[in-house]
Amino acid sequence: MRNGHADEIGKLVEPGRVHRRVYTDPELFELEMERIFGRAWLYVGHGSQVPQPGDYITTDLGRQPVIMVRHRDGSIKVLLNRCTHRGAKVVNERKGHAQRLTCCYHGWSFDTDGKLATVPVPEGCGEGFDKDALGLARAPRVGEYRGFVFASLAVKGPSFEDHIGPMQGNIDDLVDRAPDGELALDAGMHRYVYNGNWKLQVENVLDSYHVPFGHASTVNKQGVQFARREGDQKGAIVVEAEKKQTAASWKDRKSFTVGNGHGWTSNTTLDDGKRSSPAFDEYKRALADKVGAERAAEILTPRLHNSLIYPNMSIMGLNIHVRVIKPIAVDRTEVNIFPVRLVGAPAAMNFGNIRLLNVTHSAASFVQTDDLESFVRAQKGLQSRLTDWVDISRGLGAEEPDRATNATRGLATHEMVVRAQYKAWVGYMGEAA
Amino acid sequence: MALAARESLAASGLDRAAFEEFLIHEACLLDERRFRDWMELFADDGTYWVPATPDQKSPFEEASLFYDDRELMKTRIERLEHPRIHVQTPPSRTAHIVGNLVIEETDLAKGEYVVGSTFIMAEYRDDAQRLFAGRQRHRLRRYGDTFRIVQKRVDLINCDGAFEAMAVPI
Repeated sequence: MRNGHADEIGKLVEPGRVHRRVYTDPELFELEMERIFGRAWLYVGHGSQVPQPGDYITTDLGRQPVIMVRHRDGSIKVLLNRCTHRGAKVVNERKGHAQRLTCCYHGWSFDTDGKLATVPVPEGCGEGFDKDALGLARAPRVGEYRGFVFASLAVKGPSFEDHIGPMQGNIDDLVDRAPDGELALDAGMHRYVYNGNWKLQVENVLDSYHVPFGHASTVNKQGVQFARREGDQKGAIVVEAEKKQTAASWKDRKSFTVGNGHGWTSNTTLDDGKRSSPAFDEYKRALADKVGAERAAEILTPRLHNSLIYPNMSIMGLNIHVRVIKPIAVDRTEVNIFPVRLVGAPAAMNFGNIRLLNVTHSAASFVQTDDLESFVRAQKGLQSRLTDWVDISRGLGAEEPDRATNATRGLATHEMVVRAQYKAWVGYMGEAA
Repeated sequence: MALAARESLAASGLDRAAFEEFLIHEACLLDERRFRDWMELFADDGTYWVPATPDQKSPFEEASLFYDDRELMKTRIERLEHPRIHVQTPPSRTAHIVGNLVIEETDLAKGEYVVGSTFIMAEYRDDAQRLFAGRQRHRLRRYGDTFRIVQKRVDLINCDGAFEAMAVPI
């Protein structure tokens, strides 16, 4: 992949299969960093992580270190974490608070909007020294929706509204669950890494086909998974134990795509009539007090399992969390998972969510660890040169329009969503920056 | 150990060796993959906590690597015994070493003791070896001629790092 011409990229993706090089070729990875992570709208963080002026978090967009910081005027800035003097990373902490961002090397100090504020020994600066031109670089475009902050490192491209528009309802679905209509991502994070390509995680979040097999160890002899939500008496029926096959209710689940690589899967079927615990019941009352019983019932009727906002973020509706996918190398990826606190919900309910997320998605969880094993094994298996193609053909041609959501619908055990991701991938990759 | 604490411990009829033996026994159960026996060391209200940040105040308000009560522990162990737990195919082999014991608290009225210790656990699985290390704190309750664990808190030195899959308790 020396030049990344559109026709060359196009040859890697066919209607029901992709070439293994999309997971294993370091040159393609470099091109992804430029053409996808260098210009797509990427999720950066949530406003609740930087509530006060001067509060910041650091993260990476692709491989570019950035600072998300709240400025004095209340606006959120996404700054490149690279001193404009000699290139050192300016902020080294993962989160914190500062009036000024000061480089450790020679002490150049930047305001929270990136402007260069002071330079030690200023008399040494030459005549042409232009402080105004030496502020920290800013992400050229930043967009925010209900607290979720996204940035694009490209000056031009599809608007934030065009990118996020079809997924606003999925964000609403989560935010509306908070009695105060607000989320707080202030309950720490889970961090895991694996020796595999970033797309393995992206593809997995909307993959309902793997659950009865990949997560067999979480399903009991009756075919039922462990209870994963506060108040659930038991988990989903995944397998019909007598027949030893995927349960009908599982097979009936749907997936949806809306362009841009985005998509979601419908809810896991659970016995919501029996969902009850002191924490959940109190939460239900708190929500109904704020939004009315009818709207509360609507909000509490599960609609979504996972939602993917391509290319680097997903939201889960079951064990509620926000997930961020960070490519490190062609065969190395870090993932961050943020528990979500529903503002206005009783503390016990938020604790229930945090507690169960530990056992579903921490690096030591019951669910995520078997996925990580599958990603690692995929990366190993994909080294095989005698089998170049990866099959993603399940349900090919069975897609149909879903008028209610203005989306394309398929079965969740099909691979329509993966094909949609590769359609977006080709769109980004086929076009020179 | 402060003299007062030493006197208080002496009054309980216990010595440091009793605690050390217990911690070594616990580590051996983990290394021998006797997870059910390990779980039985915990009191019915016992918890196993591995925080995800240094000095983490609470398991209730922040994410943790592990925070299991007996019920979640049971689910975890059933999974560890499941023939199709992929992340344990092949299984992990571990070796713990526990030292630097300090008896930090003694509560004679409740029969509870807090013991701090430093540990290193090496884990080998699928051609890769890695190390876990940190300080652990056991709150133990006297139970016949032994103890049960009221809480085991494990503070890994890299608790806020990014981990590859962790399948077995530390």
